[in-house]
Amino acid sequence: MTEHSGNKTRYALPVSMVAVLGLMVSILTGMGSAPMDLRDATDSEARSESYKKDSIQSVKAFLEVYKVLMSPRCMNCHPAGDVPLQGEDSHLHAMSPQRGKDGKGVFAMKCSNCHQASNTPGLHTPPGHPDWHLPPADMKMVFEGRTPHQLAKQLMDPNQNGRKTKEQLLAHANDGLVLAAWNPGEGRSTPPMSHEAFSKAWNTWIKKGGFAPPAQ
Amino acid sequence: MPLLWAIRDVIGLTGTKYGCGVAQCGACVVHLNGEAVRSCVTKVSRAEGQKVVTIEGLSGNNDHPVQTAWQEIDVPQCGYCHSGQIMSAAVLLRENPNPSDEDIDAAMSGNICRCGTYLRIRKAIHLAAELQQKGKG
Amino acid sequence: MRRISRRSFIKNTGGASLALWLGISTKGFASQTSLPTEGKRFTPYILVESNGNISIFNTKPEMGQGTFQSIPALIAEEFEVSLEQITILLTNGEKELGNGQRAGGSASIRNNYTELRKVGASAKEVFITAASAKWAVDAGTCYAEYGKVIHQPTNRSFTYGELVEEASKLELPKEPKLKDPKDFKILGKPGKRPDVPLKTSGKAVFGIDVQVPDMLYASVERCPVIGGTLKNFDAQEALKMPGVEKVVAVERLMGVYRTVGVAVVANTYWTALQARKRLKIEWDTHGFETFNSTEYETQLRGLANEEGLPDNTLGSVENLNLLPQNTLEALYETPMVAHHPLEPMNCVAQVQGEKVEIWTSTQVPSTITGSGANDLHKHIGFAPDNIKLHATFIGGGFGRRLNIDYIIEAVNVAKQVEKPVKVIWTREDTTEQGPFRPMTFSQLKGGFSEDGKLIAFQHKVIAPSYLEAVRADFDKTKVDNIMVEGIGEQAYEIPNLKTSFVRADYHVPLGAWRSVTSSTVAFAHECFIDELAYLAKKDPMDFRLELLSKPSDTKRVLEKLRVFSRWDTPLGPGKGRGVAQWEFFAGLCAQVVEVSFRPDKSVVVDKVFVVIDLGEVVNPDNVKNQIEGSIVMALGAAVKPGITLGNGRVMQHNFYDNPLVRINEVPEVEVHILADGGKVKGVGEPGLPPFAPALANAIFAATGKRIRRMPFDLDQL
Repeated sequence: MTEHSGNKTRYALPVSMVAVLGLMVSILTGMGSAPMDLRDATDSEARSESYKKDSIQSVKAFLEVYKVLMSPRCMNCHPAGDVPLQGEDSHLHAMSPQRGKDGKGVFAMKCSNCHQASNTPGLHTPPGHPDWHLPPADMKMVFEGRTPHQLAKQLMDPNQNGRKTKEQLLAHANDGLVLAAWNPGEGRSTPPMSHEAFSKAWNTWIKKGGFAPPAQ
Repeated sequence: MPLLWAIRDVIGLTGTKYGCGVAQCGACVVHLNGEAVRSCVTKVSRAEGQKVVTIEGLSGNNDHPVQTAWQEIDVPQCGYCHSGQIMSAAVLLRENPNPSDEDIDAAMSGNICRCGTYLRIRKAIHLAAELQQKGKG
Repeated sequence: MRRISRRSFIKNTGGASLALWLGISTKGFASQTSLPTEGKRFTPYILVESNGNISIFNTKPEMGQGTFQSIPALIAEEFEVSLEQITILLTNGEKELGNGQRAGGSASIRNNYTELRKVGASAKEVFITAASAKWAVDAGTCYAEYGKVIHQPTNRSFTYGELVEEASKLELPKEPKLKDPKDFKILGKPGKRPDVPLKTSGKAVFGIDVQVPDMLYASVERCPVIGGTLKNFDAQEALKMPGVEKVVAVERLMGVYRTVGVAVVANTYWTALQARKRLKIEWDTHGFETFNSTEYETQLRGLANEEGLPDNTLGSVENLNLLPQNTLEALYETPMVAHHPLEPMNCVAQVQGEKVEIWTSTQVPSTITGSGANDLHKHIGFAPDNIKLHATFIGGGFGRRLNIDYIIEAVNVAKQVEKPVKVIWTREDTTEQGPFRPMTFSQLKGGFSEDGKLIAFQHKVIAPSYLEAVRADFDKTKVDNIMVEGIGEQAYEIPNLKTSFVRADYHVPLGAWRSVTSSTVAFAHECFIDELAYLAKKDPMDFRLELLSKPSDTKRVLEKLRVFSRWDTPLGPGKGRGVAQWEFFAGLCAQVVEVSFRPDKSVVVDKVFVVIDLGEVVNPDNVKNQIEGSIVMALGAAVKPGITLGNGRVMQHNFYDNPLVRINEVPEVEVHILADGGKVKGVGEPGLPPFAPALANAIFAATGKRIRRMPFDLDQL
């Protein structure tokens, strides 16, 4: 806990939170099918490097990850409702396209009707990717409005993360649609750090135990 | 070149309209392999070797259930947006033969009508659903 | 499928002719057919051919308002033909058809209701006369029906076609007998609009769809700072693109404003658009680049203290010695808005020597071919006789296409190119360059006598002048009566009334936007009436009706609306209703809007009840369609962002930042048409002005929040 205390100003974690964090860690590790059990890891990096569960480093990494996930480029397609968000201010998407069962829109309003395989040139034109979609209706993977604590727990829970195993979760950092956040089309901001930095934080977070920051 | 301008200026079919050029208004909707794509932001290359249907090819005799319903209810005013409206509505009815008002909103909110014929579009889609179920059109 | 070349008929020479692709038939559409034909024009509006074909010329451009049905209906009703058996033709500003080939001011029916019936009736009379002469019977024993004359006693008949020769020798009676309205077969009945099938099949031809052999395409870069001028341009990079033919400077005249842009002419529109991005242009924006709307609004507020130019005065609002608690004052503010017809501005022009040929969507064919002082010929340097127009269906007008700026510009491109050229504006061009509905600010004052009677009312409009923006010869010392439209003429009986106008300098192109100034000043006027009702602690409907003691159309309309909207039935909790009416040049309409106020502080517009007073109605179903559309348009102007300027530029660009109402935002609408034989009034515009004030008044009723500025956000009240 000393190390954590040393970093508390940086993360703005009140001392009283430390106890909560400790409690939370125990809940997480007591979850049996713990997705953060590194013995399951097949990731070559995970194998070659010696990772130990480290709640402090893990949480620290997640708070970096969180900044990216809450950027418009990520959050806009992980809305709380069934309509995606749009723009730097994450307003509701014009013309209210609906998520649909598979996350790919409905009827005449399917994502790929406008969102092409690549970005359409010009300002205010639809950004593109071959697999443009929202999370499906049966697992909405909402980022909008989630605290770091909630989001970390959600991401580590296969019942809320798209049934991803840890290795799938690790691989997700390099998913094409995730990468699209760093190629957002003209006039749009990119997430607040490079993809490399994000990927590193993501890996660190998961490999060091996938710990969640304390609830606030 | 976007599919829109290829259809209009190269092929010479002008039923598909230009309204905004940035996928906001839906005047340019065509069916690409059955999906209501916006041809103003769809590159011709995406359509290469694929099946494209424009308003001119939606039915043999202006008698797709959606077209029939549109005529029955006298939906259009200026008419400029209605190629796109009809192409969008046709996809809705194929995928949902009995749409609710909410389904219609979900399918049609991408199509702007500046004359404001929305109440009639809604009514006509309900009628088209009936016609489709009766096998008429 | 027959097709007609109008030119051949206008000359009435008969013989074989090649069809024009613009020909429109009620029976469908086909391109390029030739047909031999011989026909007679029985008035400029009717053509009957010996083969039985009948055509009616519709002189009022069809922009969605329904003239393609309603104008021929007036003629066909009296001529005794059905709309199914005739061909309807759009007109192109031909001299024979007069200088009224224009659609605007909701005037097509209201100004022609009786005249066009007379056209049909007199033509019918000559056919009856011709038939009775052939049969040597009394004309009184004959009648006409479905394009035939029938001899009643013997049931013999001739088609009009069979009577062409004889009928054409007779003179048309000037005062023919008109039908008793109870015998109408078309008028007053819901009628199918013959243009609709063309619009569901993609076959209706709009200006943007015109294709002329060898045609080139052009896109014009215009100064983004309004008022700026072209200094110089470098087209080198643009010209390097394959397909780019030419880059030329081109003049546009929009009202009194002359601007010069740079046109890229290419073999496809897409190429022209891409090359346009490679232009290097230096604009002179000096004096204009710091202009912004916020400061301009402050300036308008400051001008509210000026006396201004008088409009209407009744009694005297001065020296009434009203008690302060019996008076009220408020300032209302409305923004500029763009017309946004969904068909962007476009025009095909071909210049060959002294002659120019124009294909376009326009509300004003007569302005294009006319010889008047403000007509097109003055601006392009061609003799009126050398200007040939091919008018098309219009993909939305709303006043935007009353202006000929985009036609002047296209002709100026065509002058510099050997081939026909189609100029198409992008949506961004259409949004950023104007003209716009002017913003108007309204200062209102009202006062009650000690016994509670509204005895003083003032409405001062503070705004730039529309007429100043469109007419170089407008006298600025005179009141611009467009800007005070309707405010001095409401039927309310208030003994002391003063309406006036304070003009503000401006440099942004202005235009008439559907219902013109009424869409802004009615908001102020009718909301303020509501404020006064509230001050008097009266029901807003009662308050209005108490100001209408004498018989008037307004009184009839409001009394009907009170019943029709179930005004006196209480609404549930969280709901409110508001009322407004407006009478102006185009007509008279009143509305009740019902809203719900949600716990999240948003307002939902539930329902609109509409009573429109028409005097006579041609096609009630089309009237309803127009009203439904008017409400959608008025809703957009009330709640969606308007047009603003920053650093001299229009801050909005396309539908993503200048959004229009979509299907998921539309309230229910119920329409009642009053058509009980009074003065004939218009349809296209009167549905707009009452909506915004009725909505704001409903919001006040539901929330207690008084709205004095448009646009207002329904999601955050």
